[in-house]
Amino acid sequence: MKNTLKVERAILNLTQGELAQKIGVSRQTINSIEANRYAPSTVLSLKLSVVFNKPVNDFFALDQND
Amino acid sequence: MNLKSIKECDRRSAERLLNFKLPNSYKKIGWIGVIAALAVIMSTDLFKGDQELLKDVLRKVVLAFLFVIVLSREEVEDERIQSFRVQSYSLSFLAGVLYTLFQPVVNWIAFLIFKPEKAIFEDLGDFQILWLILTVYLLFFYVLKRGDNEEHS
Repeated sequence: MKNTLKVERAILNLTQGELAQKIGVSRQTINSIEANRYAPSTVLSLKLSVVFNKPVNDFFALDQND
Repeated sequence: MNLKSIKECDRRSAERLLNFKLPNSYKKIGWIGVIAALAVIMSTDLFKGDQELLKDVLRKVVLAFLFVIVLSREEVEDERIQSFRVQSYSLSFLAGVLYTLFQPVVNWIAFLIFKPEKAIFEDLGDFQILWLILTVYLLFFYVLKRGDNEEHS
C-alpha cells in the first residue's frame, strides 16, 4: 500500500511528532507508515482522514503487490 | 441470559484479558527483579550447604519478573507495538513448542554419542520451557522494535 502521508502532513505544516500526538500513536509509527513499512488499521486511517479532512482514498492507495 | 449475550460476554472478557497491561514503570521493576534474582542464583554457589530450594524459589521469581516485563506497556502503546507483540507471541510459542519437542531428543542423542551409560530420555523442566518462551518473546519484541526504529534514523 502506498501513501502520500508526507505530502498531506507538509500541507498542514505538521511534524511527525505533532501528527502522532493528534492521533495518539508514536512518532515512529507515523514514520513507519510514511515509509510503507506499516499498514495502519482502519481506525487509524480514519483518524488520519479526520486530521487531513480528506477521504482515506485520497492519501492511501493499493499498489501492484496488494 | 440467551446464548448470544453469553457469547458477547465471553468475547468481552477475552478482549479485556488480552488488553490487560501493567503500567510502563513496571518494566524497570521487572528488569531490576530479574537481574537481582539471577545475581543471587549465581552467588548461591559461594555458600556452603544445599541451596536447591533457594534456587528453585529464585527461578520462579525470575520467571515472575520476566512475565511482569512482558506485560508492561511501552511508553506509547499503539497498534504498531501491538503488532510487534502479536508477532513475538507467535514466534515464542513456536520456539517453545519446537524446543519442548526436540530438545529432549537432541539431549538423548548427544548422551548416546558421548556418554552412552547416562543416556536417558528426560523431559524438560517447567523453568527451562517458560524461561525460553519469555526470553524469546522479549528478544523478538526488542529486535522488531529496534529494527524498525533504526530504519527511521
